[in-house]
Amino acid sequence: MYWYVARRLAWAFVATFIILTITFLLLEVTPDAQAAQLQFQAAQGGGSAEAAREAYETRRGLDAPLWERYSNYMINVFTLEWGWSDTRSQPVVEAILDAYPYSLMYGIPAVLISTVVGIAIGLYSATHQYTLADYAGTFVAFFGISIPNFWFGIILLLVFAVELGWVPVLFDPNVPVFSVANAKQLVLPVFVLTTAAIASEMRYARAEALEYVNAEFVKTAKAKGADGRRILTRHILRPALVPLSTILVGDLLGLILTTSYLVEVVFGIPGLGRLSLDAILNQDTALVLGTTFIPVLIAVIGNLLQDLAYTILDPRIDYGDR
Amino acid sequence: MALGNEEQSDAPSALLFPNRRGLLKVLGVGAAGAAGLGTAGSVGGQETTTTGQGNQGDRSVQGDYVVGDSTDAETLNFVQIADVPSANRVGLTLDGAYALTPPPNSEVFPLWCDISTEDSRTYTVEIREGLQWGGDYGRMTADDWVYMITEVFQAEDNWAGFANQSDWQRNGEFVPVEQTGELTFEIRLPEVDPAFPLKPIMWGEFCMPRGLLEKYVPDKDLEGLQQDEEVQTLAYSGNLGPYSFERWNREAEFVASRNDDYYMQNVENIPEEYNQSAWQGAPYFESWTYQVIPEESTRLSALQTGEITQTSIPENKVSQFEDDQDVNVNVAPQPFNSLLIYNQRANGWEPFRKTAVRKALSYAVDKRAVVENILRGFGSVAHTFQPEFSRWYDDSQVVETGVGDAYSSEEARSRLGEALGGTQYTYDGDTVVGPNGNQLTLKLVWPVGTETTRTTVEFIKQEYAKIGINVELEGVQFNTLLSKYAQNSYRGDGEPEYNAGPFNAGPRDEAFSEESWDMQYGIIFNTYPRTPSSTRSFWTRTSSTNYYGYVPEADMASLYDRASSATDEAQRQQLYARVFGILSEEQPCNFMNMGVDIDGFQDEVQGPQEVFDFGWNANTWYFQQE
Repeated sequence: MYWYVARRLAWAFVATFIILTITFLLLEVTPDAQAAQLQFQAAQGGGSAEAAREAYETRRGLDAPLWERYSNYMINVFTLEWGWSDTRSQPVVEAILDAYPYSLMYGIPAVLISTVVGIAIGLYSATHQYTLADYAGTFVAFFGISIPNFWFGIILLLVFAVELGWVPVLFDPNVPVFSVANAKQLVLPVFVLTTAAIASEMRYARAEALEYVNAEFVKTAKAKGADGRRILTRHILRPALVPLSTILVGDLLGLILTTSYLVEVVFGIPGLGRLSLDAILNQDTALVLGTTFIPVLIAVIGNLLQDLAYTILDPRIDYGDR
Repeated sequence: MALGNEEQSDAPSALLFPNRRGLLKVLGVGAAGAAGLGTAGSVGGQETTTTGQGNQGDRSVQGDYVVGDSTDAETLNFVQIADVPSANRVGLTLDGAYALTPPPNSEVFPLWCDISTEDSRTYTVEIREGLQWGGDYGRMTADDWVYMITEVFQAEDNWAGFANQSDWQRNGEFVPVEQTGELTFEIRLPEVDPAFPLKPIMWGEFCMPRGLLEKYVPDKDLEGLQQDEEVQTLAYSGNLGPYSFERWNREAEFVASRNDDYYMQNVENIPEEYNQSAWQGAPYFESWTYQVIPEESTRLSALQTGEITQTSIPENKVSQFEDDQDVNVNVAPQPFNSLLIYNQRANGWEPFRKTAVRKALSYAVDKRAVVENILRGFGSVAHTFQPEFSRWYDDSQVVETGVGDAYSSEEARSRLGEALGGTQYTYDGDTVVGPNGNQLTLKLVWPVGTETTRTTVEFIKQEYAKIGINVELEGVQFNTLLSKYAQNSYRGDGEPEYNAGPFNAGPRDEAFSEESWDMQYGIIFNTYPRTPSSTRSFWTRTSSTNYYGYVPEADMASLYDRASSATDEAQRQQLYARVFGILSEEQPCNFMNMGVDIDGFQDEVQGPQEVFDFGWNANTWYFQQE
């Protein structure tokens, strides 16, 4: 088991290295929109386009040879000195530490609510298949999956902020984390994210639970007189959690990298989603590598933790001989 | 930065504090159809609808002013600034050398400095008394300016990455700058340039104290300068701006609070027309915030609920606010020209090289329909490369096409038929056919991202169909448009006859872009109504922006030479009127339309006017007392 974990950690290191290298190379080969525009501006003003490009490269540290920049970045990443973000004028670590709290503020409630509620509705639907409640649950799931988050967020803002005035339109980063004002401004983003995530959790939970609802061991438990709650939590949920845990890491990453970006744009939240995407759009290499490193780490380590969780959820799984 | 085909909708906020360096340049590029395009014919530049006037008696310090911006600043180190949001934020705490009043007068309005000359060649800059740096840097003197210009702006290797170094060069040499007194220095141009004060060189230029720069100049320590705490927090701004840095939460807000020691409060001898008493109590807001709200609909919602004071409004959303009693919509003309560009280089349609062909085509597109129906009236028809509010625009010289009787498919067809004589193209019935007998197809490239640009190119396609030309539309990303269609390289043998940079790498037969194209729409050009000599970079054979390969029939280079060095105002006016008249005759491009800037303000804001560059005196704006 320990050997298995050690090998997986070593692989995590290699995988991170490869992914960061690919990211660096992709940024290198991507045409720099800002440089092109600055050159065009300089030409329009009668100045030297070439000088404008050189000045831009000096400012962005792009005037050093490729290999030197690559080795610097990689050393910086692995020594956790992630350098300076040219597009935010602050250290990369500070940029990430600034953005993380905002992502967590809405991300944690959204993940918790969608996981608990999604699995609960899924299990209920599975055990009450083809009832009105099942159809209602399925409707909620499809609504959440189908509705574009971006559009949904805008509509919610128009209704609850502009028309009803129940919540503010703008996100205020200065209010205390644990305050009513913060809760009010987070209600809508959390709701939007939850409706999206709850759907997949619920559908997976329902499908997985259905596999066990009529399983022999469930029938046996029923025959032995186990009550409904015990059957649901001990005999259906537990085996169903093994595949369900697989989607948790994916969901978390998806939330941080994709959905969260759209939600952050609509609600003006200065979180990690915007930080990551803006870094890519602005080709801020140091910041891209920093913001890539964390999700890569979450993915690799998260997968490891998830594999280890299997052994707890299902004692038949054992990595002892691997 | 809001450039390219992305949201130019921030341009309005950029036009606040226009005395800030680089704005004229930065705003000079963009894509048509971006918010703030077009100028309704009714929005004449001469009309000035004031939403608030009065002396200091009407004003009192109250409230917080919040601007909704789509993008955040990149840096507060002004030496490196190349984007409008950054310049705006720095501009809250540093006034800059001087401002310019709106055209047509465009007078120098001294802030930190005044600028004067006797021969239009040697300019004397005189720094105001009583300007105080923050920290221990003492008062601002000419020494600070000369040190910064010579050691940073004009540094041989441009170690600091100064974005506008070529501004301080003439013919490859740095312009001599010399201190002549404690508070005066001279800028000695190698040639006469009467428009120098109006160029964004000293206009809006910021300065840093010598004591601060000296920490980094000797070692050319770029990283040190970038990361300096005082630079990062503008701690050296002292009494030099209307506001003081309070906080900057990246991607969220930049907040500056009222500077009680603002030097303009003590300035006397401000001309009456600029309201001295208003400046003496300025600024009139407790704080000024730039709030970053990336999503347009969220910005507009925040304007509706009163959470922000001002933001730009796209033309298709104006009607939403017209009935809103709490919001004033301010429509100001702009000098940005959206043009249909013809590729006259070797990889374009060759007949575009004939003036008669281009002129015939200018009869084919209904420019008024574009302005009124696509831009919803927010724009004005353009016939030459200068807005009508410019003092260099002369009705009597400008030839109008594409409107009224000069818009006619029949006329265009007839003229085109004649003009194509001697080429391989001709009319076969109602259709223009090429040497192979097939209908002529022209490729029109445009930047994706804005709905009005898309609609306009589709309209152009329809208009060209009426004269028998098929148009193939190709939408590309803005930077692709620049890199693969505008940038060109020399493909001939030996050395090119000239090389004016990546956008005009040589004569049109030997230098052309990577991708072939025939027409282009969606890039906005700045028409420089204050300094028309700057338009030279578009309209001579060897101009740096002439990526379309225009070779004028008239001797434009000589006209520009004479005009830019003419010290006699009337003569200069006459020469530029001729330049812009020739452009309307030769039609190097179809000039299509000029844009406007549309902003929404909370009703209580007093000060904004419907003129170009209305934000130059934003420090005197105020909230109406209830």
